[in-house]
Amino acid sequence: MHEVFAATPARLRAARLVSAAGLVALAIALATMPAFASDYTLLVCFKIFKYAALAQAWNLLAGYGGLVSLGSAAFIGIGAYTTAKLTIATGVPLIPAMALGGVTAAIFAALVSPALFRLRGLYFVIATLALASAAQIWMVNWNGLGGASGLYLTVSAPTTRGVYYMSLVIMAAATVLVAGVLRTRLGISLRAVRDNEDAAQEMGLWPFRTKLWAFGLSAAVMGVVGGLQAARLSVIEPYGSFSLQWTIDIVNIAIIGGLGTVSGPLVGAVFVVWLGERLADYPELHVAITGALLILVIRFAPYGLWGSLLRLKGETIWSRLRRRS
Amino acid sequence: MRKSHAIVASVFLLALALVAGGWTSARSETKEIEIGASIPLSGPLAGFGSFVKWGYQAAVKDANAKGGIMVGGTKMKVKLTLLDDKTDPNTVASNTDRLITKDKVSALLGSCTPSLVNAGAVVADRARIPLVTGCDPLEAFKSVKKWEYAWDIFFWEPDLASAPFKTLKAWGAATNKKVAIMHDNGPDGMVVGGKLWPAFAKQYGYTVVYKASFPVQATQFGSMIQNAKAKGAEIVLVDAVTPQAVAFVKQMFAANFHPKVLVIEKGAEPVQFAQALGKQADGIIVGGYWDASFPFPGAAQLRTRYEKETGQTYSQHIADSYAAAQVLLDAIAKAGSLDAAKINDAISKTNKTYVVGPVKFDANHTSRLPIVELQWQGGETKIVWPRKQATGKLLLKIG
Amino acid sequence: MAIPTGHALATALVTGLLLGGLFTVTALGLSLIFGVLRLINLVHGELIVLGAYLSYILLTHASIDPLLGLLVIVPVMFLIGLPLQRILLTPLMGKGAEAPLLTTFGLSIIAQNLFILGFSGDTQALHASYANASLSVAGIDVPQIYAISFGFALVLTAATHLFLKRTAVGCEIRASAEDAGAAEMLGVNVSRVYSLTYGLGAAFAAIGGVLVGLAFSFTPTTGPGYLLTGFAVVVLGGLGSLWGTLLAGLLLGVVESVGAAFWGDGYRDFIGLAAFLIILAIRPRGLFGRAE
Repeated sequence: MHEVFAATPARLRAARLVSAAGLVALAIALATMPAFASDYTLLVCFKIFKYAALAQAWNLLAGYGGLVSLGSAAFIGIGAYTTAKLTIATGVPLIPAMALGGVTAAIFAALVSPALFRLRGLYFVIATLALASAAQIWMVNWNGLGGASGLYLTVSAPTTRGVYYMSLVIMAAATVLVAGVLRTRLGISLRAVRDNEDAAQEMGLWPFRTKLWAFGLSAAVMGVVGGLQAARLSVIEPYGSFSLQWTIDIVNIAIIGGLGTVSGPLVGAVFVVWLGERLADYPELHVAITGALLILVIRFAPYGLWGSLLRLKGETIWSRLRRRS
Repeated sequence: MRKSHAIVASVFLLALALVAGGWTSARSETKEIEIGASIPLSGPLAGFGSFVKWGYQAAVKDANAKGGIMVGGTKMKVKLTLLDDKTDPNTVASNTDRLITKDKVSALLGSCTPSLVNAGAVVADRARIPLVTGCDPLEAFKSVKKWEYAWDIFFWEPDLASAPFKTLKAWGAATNKKVAIMHDNGPDGMVVGGKLWPAFAKQYGYTVVYKASFPVQATQFGSMIQNAKAKGAEIVLVDAVTPQAVAFVKQMFAANFHPKVLVIEKGAEPVQFAQALGKQADGIIVGGYWDASFPFPGAAQLRTRYEKETGQTYSQHIADSYAAAQVLLDAIAKAGSLDAAKINDAISKTNKTYVVGPVKFDANHTSRLPIVELQWQGGETKIVWPRKQATGKLLLKIG
Repeated sequence: MAIPTGHALATALVTGLLLGGLFTVTALGLSLIFGVLRLINLVHGELIVLGAYLSYILLTHASIDPLLGLLVIVPVMFLIGLPLQRILLTPLMGKGAEAPLLTTFGLSIIAQNLFILGFSGDTQALHASYANASLSVAGIDVPQIYAISFGFALVLTAATHLFLKRTAVGCEIRASAEDAGAAEMLGVNVSRVYSLTYGLGAAFAAIGGVLVGLAFSFTPTTGPGYLLTGFAVVVLGGLGSLWGTLLAGLLLGVVESVGAAFWGDGYRDFIGLAAFLIILAIRPRGLFGRAE
């Protein structure tokens, strides 16, 4: 008979204390980083937080909601353009403009939902892709918002510290939002709808309303990130703001990190951005490695790096705990 | 229990990222002059990127072959860091950030095409690091902001747009003066096709019988070609990139439309255009800002060197990138220091003839390259305007 | 918006119909692979481009006409697709729908990069005398290559239909598409069927690539554009329906061309996408989609 880690009440309390302490330590470290980290590190963190927030929003929809959307670029672009136009035309300060960017993106999501949610499976996926492409083409042709030349933001760009904190706040908010939503009725309803929409309908949940909320929240977060990116770039145009590359990167990160977990997108963002930075000096390698990595992850760690880690450890420790208490 | 795993793992990974990313603010002694550039090495503009890469690297090699540049009393070699921006403006911005904050470059060179160049120039200007670039038409460059640290050497759109009309006038070409304009809605397409061509057509006494725009990635030009044909245009002006240019010409022939004059800006310039179309490319006119036959120091040699080193046919893009890099390196040498403000000041005082022509920046930080009109004849481009530089006669037939 | 003349409208209709044939050919492989394997083959665009590049090699190094070269390219692409599916995708069966999807996505990234390394980022096109000629149909000038593509679309769709209906292998394919478990129990080697179908899909993609190369041009990054068009056609026609794919392709061609006649070529793709979304909103399973 071997010593098994017994989950006594005392040990559970200690575990919670450790996790709380860890959380506090992490928060302090992140909050004070600009004081001792280089500009480069802060900008890398900006990238990580930005993508983590986006992947988290996508994860809410795809991981927990089962709605694989390839239309993320549309919401990011809408947020970017809303922020840009507001700051240029009405002098609204940056942060409210970014918030409104999120709101506009959510409104757009709500508008397309009735038609979009009638589609299931692959039809939904392709429709979201078509939507994002159509949005980009529209913005390129329509000269009302600068057409292909785009817009130049007149508001001064946030400093390196500024974007660091802003993206940190957005990522934290997105994570808290997703973790929080999962505990509410909406979260339970969402997962029920994902697992079996018809049964959920039978049980009295409202699939449409549930999906609408998830879609709207996801779009809002993406819109805010789009606004931040616009502020940082100072010049936006449709090819960059509505670029398919956004969608590709988000899916990459969410898959590599692990769908259906709250920490998955964070882990994915850290890993993918870190890898990108390491390989930046070898451009040919980078793209090939990203592709190969994706294939390997799918093959050997289909729940993503974090997801697989969780399953590995969770299987042993969690089942041990369950057996004991 | 899961949550503590999450926290521990996140902290660990973040720490890993920081350590790996190099979080120290201090930096070791620079023994080299660090310059950098973000260019499209993959994605739709990879073709341009390869020329720009060669030009930048060739200039740096030349400087290092002479032992480097004298800075602060010591001769230091130049280190050029090139990053791939995948033809994405967001990546240009983050690459430029990285070059400035991680590689601690003293100066930058630009990407190619307005949306990419401008994205990087904005970042450089904000960080007060000098950036010299080619490959960005001057109006597109100027319209972004009042630059302090960014400098552009390229052609001026009105020169490009007026060239076809000047060419026809110079040769006394007989046409029915009916013009059809079709342009993509990229930033320069909108300027050249949308505004300048109609204005110059009017100025030179031509009538615009048809005008249309299409997305940069379009593949179908059917209805536009039909319209132009129906309106009887003998002069067709197109602004599109190479894939679209090739498709356009094919569809024009397939629709049985044979104008006398066909100008295709941007797309008809590279040799692949002529290779893809064969005989059908003959007679197509395109504006160029450099040709190996230009009377500037080192022009012909640059071409020979490129073709020997890469085994490929040259393009005008090797010249402006080579010159931009030389301008930057000369400015560093003149400043004798790695101080950004001093280098910037030295750039502003540039007044020399490079392989691409005389370079002198005006108050808007632009240096204008003159345009010549080239016409494809037998798989080669011949200069047809200005006539005193001409290497061939103007043909009024396509195909 | 401009009202086109009768002649312009007629030209748009006819050209659009024929162009739709080209759309169909580029979408057939995707349709087949999805109908049978339930796989969204995200590397389809790159398979199209690979077909074009192979034809380019044959043309420049052996002066083999692109359409003639298909005799070589089709088997070659089939032989490329078969092991691709067997080695990379078969192990992923049963691990959820995202796994093979993202593997093909990873492949497409690698493929685009390999194209740049092997062929450079330059624009290429396939040159043939018939490709740029004009065809006169009842007084309307249409690009001859579109008519050729239309012909290919009809022939390929009909041939595939016959193959699936009349041959033993075709029966196995249909059985596996209908119910893989039941088919397995009846003695069908479903795994082999899947590999064969994937190879076939790859070969079809290559045919589409050669036609694209003849009609337009291609670069390493041309793939994704045709992937989206292919998707639109397949989904619009209804998943699992070959005739649906054909009809949807033709419909899309007509809608785009007629739309362009009214609103200009700038909005051509937008009109196509908008029509696609509207039709889907009305008929969520596409025109001929079967109930899942």
